[in-house]
Amino acid sequence: MTSFPAPEWFLALGRMMAAEGEVFRRLGYAEVRFVVRVLDDDGKLEAATAVEIDGYALTNAFKLDGKPFDADFAICAPRAVWAEMLEEIAREGRATLRHTLSSLALVGEHLWLESDDQLREDKFYRYNQTLQELFNLSARLPH
Amino acid sequence: MPTVQIKDEARIGTEAKIKLEPSAYLEKLFKTGTPDLGWMNEHGEWGIRAKPGNLGLRLKDIEIGSYGVIPKHGGEHCSMAPRGSFVPNDLPSLGFTLNEKAECWADNAMELYEEAVARQWSSARDIPWDELKPLPDDLERAMCQLCTFLTEVEFIAADAPTRWMSKINQDFLEVKLFLATQAMDEARHTDVFRKRALANGGGLGKASKLSELSLKRIFDSPSFSAQTARLHLLGEGFVLTMFRQGEFIAPSRVDQEIFRRCMQDESRHVGYGTMHLRAQLKERPDLAEEIHEQLDDAETILLQLFSVPESVEPMAILLGGGIKNFDKGMELQGNLWRRIVNEYLQRCDSAGLDRRPRCLLPTDFSKLFNATA
Repeated sequence: MTSFPAPEWFLALGRMMAAEGEVFRRLGYAEVRFVVRVLDDDGKLEAATAVEIDGYALTNAFKLDGKPFDADFAICAPRAVWAEMLEEIAREGRATLRHTLSSLALVGEHLWLESDDQLREDKFYRYNQTLQELFNLSARLPH
Repeated sequence: MPTVQIKDEARIGTEAKIKLEPSAYLEKLFKTGTPDLGWMNEHGEWGIRAKPGNLGLRLKDIEIGSYGVIPKHGGEHCSMAPRGSFVPNDLPSLGFTLNEKAECWADNAMELYEEAVARQWSSARDIPWDELKPLPDDLERAMCQLCTFLTEVEFIAADAPTRWMSKINQDFLEVKLFLATQAMDEARHTDVFRKRALANGGGLGKASKLSELSLKRIFDSPSFSAQTARLHLLGEGFVLTMFRQGEFIAPSRVDQEIFRRCMQDESRHVGYGTMHLRAQLKERPDLAEEIHEQLDDAETILLQLFSVPESVEPMAILLGGGIKNFDKGMELQGNLWRRIVNEYLQRCDSAGLDRRPRCLLPTDFSKLFNATA
């Protein structure tokens, strides 16, 4: 069984995204490349996965082992914060109030965005519903 | 073949004031039955075969050959003749006044237009209104006041740019198409916040003199780029953060959905504005001072706006989760204010405008009263 934030975990979400085609088509397409960073309790990088969404499909996910990747932004959070969000999604079927990606990123203490260019960081907001629905699909992964 | 039945057909034209003579071409056509077909030799570049990509046939897919060349100067005919078509002489001019590419262009206009079309939503269909539940009185009043503010300010982002839209040379149609989607987005925002205010036992709150002043200044901007700085860079950037706050403070899934969807739309508008100013300032660095002056005034009004209770208190109540947590709400609002200022300045950086030394917005929310003194 694959677990967050392994590339296979995202690719599994991608397969569900394809199966749920109509939901994502209705939201509209997204063209975005981002990194999911998981930090340990000391704030050190524990894992980083690069993810690409092209249109209505998650087209690529791979471990960032120093490989070059021109991301629009990185979503960073300690493992405990990611775990809390994903556990809630598993329990409720979706992230509820104040535990959505956008809510967590707003205050910026628990989860934050990093980018070299605000214009590219803004893609997090432009495609936010798509990103949230993607993470919400993890409720259906075996736990 | 059955003919279409037209009511009172015999009466049509019996009292017409003008008598029209058939053209020489039509006379010849009906006499000889031979078509002219001269128009077949009057055309733009021929043999073009645009290929759809994985997301269908988008504007970027048809930007090929001579059709993909965006002129630096718009056509002098100033008509609606499509860019790349055969343009006859002596077309009536529509009197466009924005005829330089740099005055309106943004490299992401095409992308944002297509994205806007693909990501449209309906406030009637896509918001789960059935899930709306009664809220404590203080929260409902705060939400309704916030919705009143947003209903008040949102449509300026349709009214103001579309004033300029009709002045933009048609050769820059991609920009006009994008601005049309922005107008549609703002219509939806206006309708959804009005609906929310009237859907849960509350109603509209108090309109704001200072909001109106800021809207008037946007409306009266002396140039399109000046307006873009005020509207897209500061105003919509500010509202974008408010939408994000709205998603965070949402007391129900209904409110969360509303704010999240509006947030997505608003990000496109900010994206256009930032890129337009980047292109404009690259072409005309001398405009930076004019943009700075506009932002001096816009920031001053924003500070004044955040110095009245109907602007400050609803957010604090919603952020804190009620009047009882007002102090906590103000503290959170202070954190968010820092974010607003930070993102605004980063967008200025991205646009190529060094606003930091001149910025009037304090990074510390508690210093607002000092800044406005």
